[in-house]
Amino acid sequence: MALTDSAPAAGQKAAQAQPKKKGPAVWLDMDQAELDAAYDQSKYAPNQALVQARRVVLSQRARAALGEPLRFAYGSSEIEALDVYRAQQTNAPISVFIHGGAWRNGRAADFAYLAEIFVRAGAHSVILDFTNIDAAQGNLMIMARQVRSAVAWVYKNAARFGGDAQRLYVCGHSSGSHLASTVVSADWQKLGLPCDLVKGALLCSGMYDLQPVRLSARSNYVKFTDEIEEALSALRHLDRIACPLIVAYGSCETPEFQRQARDFAAALEAAGKPHELIVGEAYNHFEMLETLANPYGLLGRAVLAQMRLPDRA
Amino acid sequence: MREDGRASGHELSRRAVFAGAAAGALALAAEPAAAQRCAGPPPPHQKGPLVWLDLDKEELDDAYDQSVYAFNQSNIAERRRANSELVLKLLGKPERVAYGPTEIEKLDIYRTRRANAPVAIFIHGGSWQNGHASDNTYLAEPYVKAGAHYVMPDFINVREAGGDLFPMVEQVRRAVAWVYRNAASFGGDPNALYLAGHSSGGHLGGCIVTTDWAAQGLPLDILKGAVLGSGMYDLKAVRLSKRSQYVKFTDAMEQELSAQRHLDRLHTPLILTHGTLETPEFQRQTRDFHAAVKAAGKPVELRVGQGYNHFETQETLANPYGLMGRAAFEQMKLASA
Repeated sequence: MALTDSAPAAGQKAAQAQPKKKGPAVWLDMDQAELDAAYDQSKYAPNQALVQARRVVLSQRARAALGEPLRFAYGSSEIEALDVYRAQQTNAPISVFIHGGAWRNGRAADFAYLAEIFVRAGAHSVILDFTNIDAAQGNLMIMARQVRSAVAWVYKNAARFGGDAQRLYVCGHSSGSHLASTVVSADWQKLGLPCDLVKGALLCSGMYDLQPVRLSARSNYVKFTDEIEEALSALRHLDRIACPLIVAYGSCETPEFQRQARDFAAALEAAGKPHELIVGEAYNHFEMLETLANPYGLLGRAVLAQMRLPDRA
Repeated sequence: MREDGRASGHELSRRAVFAGAAAGALALAAEPAAAQRCAGPPPPHQKGPLVWLDLDKEELDDAYDQSVYAFNQSNIAERRRANSELVLKLLGKPERVAYGPTEIEKLDIYRTRRANAPVAIFIHGGSWQNGHASDNTYLAEPYVKAGAHYVMPDFINVREAGGDLFPMVEQVRRAVAWVYRNAASFGGDPNALYLAGHSSGGHLGGCIVTTDWAAQGLPLDILKGAVLGSGMYDLKAVRLSKRSQYVKFTDAMEQELSAQRHLDRLHTPLILTHGTLETPEFQRQTRDFHAAVKAAGKPVELRVGQGYNHFETQETLANPYGLMGRAAFEQMKLASA
């Protein structure tokens, strides 16, 4: 592919959307087509493929700069493994990243570009691999369980890579933010672990109540059940949240991804749970995550502050 | 080319975007009203006589019009404003000092706490027509936090200058000279001045680093390094484009303000950057300038941002781990903790 490809993109003259007849409302004021679109990022973020492609390039570069990560298995299957990019400091705080990809896509290796900000600021960066929804035959519970056991593994094994288990933080984006929200609202005590095992989390552009998701086209590949909807909707388990949360979304995201974050933040407020709501003006779903890779970006700045890490580069 | 541009298997070009845009175009009819709009495929176009390299007039005009190639120009302008407001609250108001006799000739100084600190000077872009220092406050935070002062001059725009680029260049030169002579007054080290410029500010930056400083009694290496992003370094092609409608190019202007023709006066190590989604001319300008500086045996590096358009490359200056920010941090030897 040539760098000099010269065909212009023909200005900003997008075709006028055809006025279409609105069907019966299936969720709030949305008909089925509108709800489906509101859970389809490609309808709202025209540069989706591009932002993802540059993330892959930046991640290759980051792995070359930081060195290959340590890789540990946290479960019995091949995919249940995690990458650790180590800070030089010992007994350092730990950031665990849970990637998104509509629960279907994404590999830890392609998110390595998020590690540098933590490593240089003196924290270990742990990036999780876990199964995807298709491999899990539509069962979201399997993904949530894997991610939970990965975080538990990090807590129990932090010393193996010089991490401080008492300073364990989580970040998630998109469907990874949904999974991260199930981590911070998990019943840890039932697993014999402290309820405040996670000391703080960033939940960016995620879903915290699965009811409208279940009503959307995502049901074509997620086999929702009443049990899954109930157990994996963090909004319904606020009582178990025991750490401060940063909830974030971009103003160019789909209406539902904006609403999910706003409603979750409002529920946290009502429940008296410490949180911060960040709205990225003029950022779309994918551009939001890029700001985590910058100590002076919207998300990077907030997460370093949450982890009490120095905000100098 | 450094690592950013070396991964040939991952070159993100306009063609790759078009594949995505074409797929997106199919969904346009059902596209929600609130969604961002990606540019569709170009309308059929009968190629006219070539006016520059393999470009006809329409293609050349498009190649000097960022809006044709960067669908999210207004989005990025909007978030630049929002981020600048936020950073202004974090850093507090800058000192604003006059560096020349006219109203516009003032510069904003965002001070770091460190004494005798290096100074970064940022020259904003805006096709020579737009832009203010205060629109770019968001760029200051990384440098101030890492221990450098950040200075952003305001200067006249080409319309107010009656289409003449010379007053713009002269004002920016005056601003740099002012910073050199007055650095101590704000705790800056005059022997550690660095420059960054983007877009038409990259063009102005090119003129600055090829200034005959000795004629003004200033050191040849007044600038210890410069990061020039997405600029223009030879004005011939620009003069042939529709930018001539608002820039009154003359032979003297084209000659004097084409940095590529004055490399003998270059005494500042350069890092040049562009994105792979910029217009073909904005990519070529940087490539050709890099090749010319290299052929002249002067220190220069080319770094290419895979998958970045014209406006997205500027945002990377606000990230020490981004394309332009990493380059500036390396040049200025700013600490990564």
